[in-house]
Amino acid sequence: MGTIRVGIDVGGTFTDFTVLDDETGAMRHFKVSSTPHDPSEAIETGIASFPERGLSAADVVHFGHGTTVATNMVIERRGGRTGLLTTEGFRDVLEIGRQTRPDLFDMSVRKPDPLVARALRLEVTERLGPDGAVILPLDEDGVATAARRFRQEEVEAIAIGFLHAYRNPAHEQRAAAIIREFLPDVFISLSSDVLPEFREYERISTTVMNAYLMPRMDGYLDRFMKRSRKTGVEAKPYTIHSNGGLMSTETARNYPVRTCLSGPAAGVVGAALVGKAAAFPDIITYDVGGTSTDVALIAGGKPAYSADRDVAGYSIRCPMVDVSVIGAGGGSIAWLDDAGGLKVGPQSAAAVPGPAAYGKGGTEATITDANIVLQRLNPVALLDGAMPVDREAALKAVSAVAEKIGRSVEDTAWGIIRIAVANMARAIRAVSMDKGHDLKQFALMAFGGAGPLHAALVAAETGLETVIIPESPGTMCARGVLLSDVTRDFVSTQIKRAEGESWEEITSAVAALEEQASAWLEAETIPDDKRALQHIVEARYAGQNHEIRVEGVLTTAQDFAARFAEAHKVVYGYALDDHPVEIVNLRVQAIGHAGRPLQTVASATGSIAAAKVGEREVYVGPERGWLTLPVYKRALMPQGEAFSGPAIIEELTSTAYVLPDQEGVVDAYGNIILKFVKGRA
Amino acid sequence: MQQHVKPPREFDAIEMEVYSNRFMSITDEMGLSLVRSSFSTNIKERKDCSVGLFDGKGRLIVQASHIPVHLGSLQGGVAAVLENFKPEDIRPGDAFICNDPYLAGGSHTPDISILTPVFHDGRLCFFAANLGHHSDVGGGVPGSCDPSQTSIFAEGLRIPVLKIAREGVLDEQIVKLISTNSRDPLERVLDLKVQIATNEIGRRKLVALADQFGIATVERAVDDLIAYSESRLRKRIKDLPDGVYTGEAFIDGDGVGHEPCRIQVAIKVEEDGITFDFTGTDVQARGAVNIPKTALDATCYYTIKALLDPTLPPNEGMALPVTIVAEEGTLVRPKFPAAVGIRSTSCQRVVRAIFQAFADVLPKEKVFASSADMNATMIFFGPHKMREGNFVYLETVGGGAGASLTHDGMNGIQVHITNTSNLPAEALEIEYPLMVRRYALADGSGGEGHTVGGMGIIREVVAMTDGIRANASSEGLRTPADGVFGGGAGEVAHLKFGTVDGKTTEYDISITNILMNRGDSLFLQTPGGGGFGRASRPEASGE
Repeated sequence: MGTIRVGIDVGGTFTDFTVLDDETGAMRHFKVSSTPHDPSEAIETGIASFPERGLSAADVVHFGHGTTVATNMVIERRGGRTGLLTTEGFRDVLEIGRQTRPDLFDMSVRKPDPLVARALRLEVTERLGPDGAVILPLDEDGVATAARRFRQEEVEAIAIGFLHAYRNPAHEQRAAAIIREFLPDVFISLSSDVLPEFREYERISTTVMNAYLMPRMDGYLDRFMKRSRKTGVEAKPYTIHSNGGLMSTETARNYPVRTCLSGPAAGVVGAALVGKAAAFPDIITYDVGGTSTDVALIAGGKPAYSADRDVAGYSIRCPMVDVSVIGAGGGSIAWLDDAGGLKVGPQSAAAVPGPAAYGKGGTEATITDANIVLQRLNPVALLDGAMPVDREAALKAVSAVAEKIGRSVEDTAWGIIRIAVANMARAIRAVSMDKGHDLKQFALMAFGGAGPLHAALVAAETGLETVIIPESPGTMCARGVLLSDVTRDFVSTQIKRAEGESWEEITSAVAALEEQASAWLEAETIPDDKRALQHIVEARYAGQNHEIRVEGVLTTAQDFAARFAEAHKVVYGYALDDHPVEIVNLRVQAIGHAGRPLQTVASATGSIAAAKVGEREVYVGPERGWLTLPVYKRALMPQGEAFSGPAIIEELTSTAYVLPDQEGVVDAYGNIILKFVKGRA
Repeated sequence: MQQHVKPPREFDAIEMEVYSNRFMSITDEMGLSLVRSSFSTNIKERKDCSVGLFDGKGRLIVQASHIPVHLGSLQGGVAAVLENFKPEDIRPGDAFICNDPYLAGGSHTPDISILTPVFHDGRLCFFAANLGHHSDVGGGVPGSCDPSQTSIFAEGLRIPVLKIAREGVLDEQIVKLISTNSRDPLERVLDLKVQIATNEIGRRKLVALADQFGIATVERAVDDLIAYSESRLRKRIKDLPDGVYTGEAFIDGDGVGHEPCRIQVAIKVEEDGITFDFTGTDVQARGAVNIPKTALDATCYYTIKALLDPTLPPNEGMALPVTIVAEEGTLVRPKFPAAVGIRSTSCQRVVRAIFQAFADVLPKEKVFASSADMNATMIFFGPHKMREGNFVYLETVGGGAGASLTHDGMNGIQVHITNTSNLPAEALEIEYPLMVRRYALADGSGGEGHTVGGMGIIREVVAMTDGIRANASSEGLRTPADGVFGGGAGEVAHLKFGTVDGKTTEYDISITNILMNRGDSLFLQTPGGGGFGRASRPEASGE
C-alpha cells in the first residue's frame, strides 16, 4: 500500500495534475489537454498515464479536484429545466432582485433572464412570520396543483423558496414531500436547506441556481466516479468548493452551487499555504492567465471571504474565497479608440487566434506580443523550446499600433505593458482597501502563466516590497486541492441583541449547529483526531444593515462585544462605545483536516552563475533602453544564494522579469523571493 | 460652462491611459473609505455619495459617482472655494465644507460637500473632494426635503463655504453647530469626520503620486485626460446631424398644487458642440421641485453619457463641448429663496425630455422609449417593534424601463439618475411591525409596441399594529411614460389605501400622513415603461 495524494485542476485548456508522494515529500506536476464536452475524460486520461510516470492508481490515498463544470453551465445556460415554487405574492422576487440596473449609464446593458421563466414560477398560499410562526397554513392542494403543472411542463428540477423558511423549514419540507409523490425523480432544492439565511432574493436566487445545476452536475459526478474507479483509484474523491475547502461527491451532488468558484478558490488556498510555510502570512495573490487576472487577499494566513457574488450576472450567496477578476491577461489586445486613446483589453486573443507571435492566426498586438518585442519573453521559443515564437509577427502587430500613435515600437510595447500594469495595480489596491488593510504589509504572490512576468512591475507601481514566485507557478490551483481540508458551513439566522436574555438563546443555537457539524463530520468518516470546528458570528451595530465577521468561540456577551468592536475597527476604521450589537448569522464550520503541511524541496546543486544559461538584449525602459540581461534557468538555481536584477528567469510554463533595483533568492520551499533594494538600479 | 473654441490639444495616448488608472485608483480608495467608514445607512448602504479630484484651477480630473445626479456637482463646491477665498487664505491642512444651492454650488441641502486643498512644494495643485447625502440637516420635515416646502429656509441648515479644518485642526464648533441642527446628531458627527478623513486619503495619494513621478508629469497627464475626454465627446457630437431637436415632459404638480409643470428643452447640435436650451420651461414651482444649477448640469451630463458615450471618463473635458441655457426664475433655474429639496423628481423628467428630443437625432438602435422615471416612495413611521422609540422606514420603488429597438424594457428596475436597492421583505418584517403582502411585477403595465415597455412593480404593505403613519408618493399617477415611434404609453401609477374591513380608496395624488391600523394596507403600483414602434403582436406583456 503506497501513499500518494493527487490534486487536479480542470481548466479551460489544460487539466493540471499535482502528485505528492507522502513518504518522500516529492511533488510532481503534469498536464493533459482538457475535454470540455466531458471534463472527467481528461481526468481519466491523466490517471491512465500514471504507470508510464512510475505511479500507481492503487497507491492514491487522497484524491481531489477543482472544477468549472458549474460555472460553465451557468455561463452557457446549459442547466436543467427548472421550476420555482414560492409564497403567494412573491414569484417575481427572482426577477426584480434588488431592483437595481447593472450599468449606471448604459441602458443597453441588461440583467440576464432569470434561470426560471415567469411561467414556471408558481405560487402557493402559505405564510410564515419573521419568528417562524405560521400566519397562513400551507395549502396542500395548491402544492399538488403546482406539482401537476411542473409535471406537465416536464421540469427536471424544482426550487422551493418560501418567505422566512430559514426560521421554519416545515412548509418547504412538506411541499417537497407532496411534489415527490407526483415527481419522484425530479431534483428538489429547498431554500431552508441550501441557504438558511434571511433576505429572500439572495436565498431564492441561490436555491434556484442550485436546482438548475443539480441534474447536469449529477450526471457529471456519475461519470467522474465511474472513470476514477475504472482507473483503479480507490480513495474517496473530493471536490473543492468556493470556500476553498473540500467536500465529498455526495455533498457536491446536493449543493452544486457551492462549486461555482472552485478553481480560483483552490489557487488562493494553495497560495495561503505556500505563503504560510515561507513565513509570508500576508499575501496578495496575482494570477495572470490568458484573458484575465485574478486577485485575492490573504491576511494572517487566511484568505478573505465574501458572502455575496454574481456568477454570470446571477446573484448567489454562500461563503466564498473573495477573488476579484479583471479583464487583462497575456492575450489582452491593445487597441486605439476613435478619440486616440490607447486601451488594453478586455478583448482577448485568448488561445485562438492567440497572440500574433504564436502564429495561430492572431494579428493584433497583445500583452504577450509586447513582451516578445521587448524580449522579456523568449523571442525564439517558449515551453523550453517546444513552442516556437515568431518575433517578426509580434513586431508587425505592435508596429501597427505604434504608427497610429506616432511612437517607436519599443515605446509602444512598453506603453502597452505599462497600461496593463496600471490597470492590474488598481485591482490590487482595491482588494486591500476593501478589507481595510495597509497595502505595505503584503507580499505579492505571482502565479499563472503571465504573473511572474509582470509581478515586479505591479509591485513597483503599488509600493509592495516583496514578490514571491512559488515553485511551479502554473499549477497553484492543483496544489491547493492537494493541501485543502474537508469543510462545510452550518448557518443559522438569529437576529438578536448580543446581550442579556437573548445571549442564552444565541449560545444554545450555536450548540445546535455544533451538533449538526459533528454529525456531518461523522458521516464524512473523518477520524476523530482530524476534526475541528470553527465559529464565526456575523454581527452589526443595531441600526446598520451590513454585517462583519467575528471569529472565535463564544464565551460571554462582554467578551463578544469587545471582539466585535475590534473587528469593526479593522474593517470600518472605528468602533462605537455603548452602542448595542446585533447578531445576524451564526456559523459553525466543520473541518476535517485532510491536507498536510508543505514540505521543503531539495536544492539545485550548482551556483547561481552556473544557472545562467544565456544572455539576451531586453528593453528595460526609455531611460536605459536595451540592456544585456542574464537568463537563468529556474531548475538550476540553488537555494540561499542571492542574485541581482535586472534578470530573466525561465522555466517551463512561465518567465519572470526581475527589475534592476531588485534582488532575489530561492528559499527552502523552492519559491523565488524578490525584494526591492533602495539605492540600486 | 462656456463653449470651447480652440480644438483640443494633442495628448499622449499612453500616459493618458496610465494616469487615468492611477487617478481612478485614488478615487476608488476614497470611495471605499467613505462607504466603508460612514455610519449612516444613506451613505453606507445606498451609497448616496461621490468622490472626485480637481486640479488647482478647479478643473475636474476624475469623479466616481454612485448616483448620477452627483455627476459634476462637486465642481460647484470647488468653484465656490476659489471664488470665496483668496489664494493666500487657502492653506495646507485646511478643509472646506458647504451645501448651499445658492451660495456654494450645492444641489440640495442634505448633500454636504467637503473640499480639501492639496499642496505640493508649497503650491496649491489639487483638490480632493467628496459629497455625502446626510439623512437630515434640520428644517420643517424629517429628511429636510418635502415637495410642499416653499423656501430654502424650510429645508434645514444652509452652509456657505466655510473652513471646517484650519491647517490640520478640526473646528469642533462648526461640527457641533451642524449636528445640533440635525434630527440625528451622532450620524452627522461621524459621517462628517469620515468625509474629512476620506479627502485626507486622497491628499496623501496625490502627494505620493507627485513625489514619485514629478508634479510636472502629473499635471501634464491631467491636461491629457481632459483633452482626451473633450476630443472623444466632440467626436460623438460630430457624428450627430446638425440641427435643433426639441422635447418636453411634465411633472404631476409643483409640490403644492396639482397642475402639471412643463419642462421644455431644445437641443442644438452644431458641428462638435451641443447646447441644451431650456427656454420655455414653466416658471419656478412654489414647492420644492425646482432644479438648482449643478443638479441641472449633472442631469445633462448624465444624458450625454447615457445616450452618446456611457464609458466617457467624467472630467472637465466632458463639460467643454456642452452649453446649458436656462432662464432665471424657471423650474430649471429657480431664484433665491425657492425650495429645491425634491429636485431629483424634476431631474428625472428633464432626462425624459432630453431622451425624447434625442429620439429624432440618434440612430434608431440607440433610442429608448420613456421609462417609469418617477422616484416612487413609501414612508412608514410608528412605534418600534423591537425596542423603545419610533422607526422611520423609507422605500423607493423601481418601475418599468422604456423599450428599445431590439429589447423589451427591463421589468421592475431603477432608471436614470437613481439606482437604489429595495429592502428585502424579510428584513423589513424582522425590523418593523409591517408585512409585505405582495411584491410583484404589474402584469400588462408596459406600453404596447414592436417591443414592449418594462412592467412596473406592485408593492403592498400591511400594518401589523395600530398607530402607524404612512406617506406614499409617486410621479406618474396621471402622466404615463410615453412610447416612441408609435409605441404605446405605459400604464400610469396606482396608489390605494385599503382598510382591514376590505374598503379600498384609490388616490391620484400623494398620500401624506395617513393613519394605518392593524390590517390596513397601502398599495403602490409604479408605472410601466413606454413601448417602441407599432405593435405587431396581440399580447402586450405578461407571461
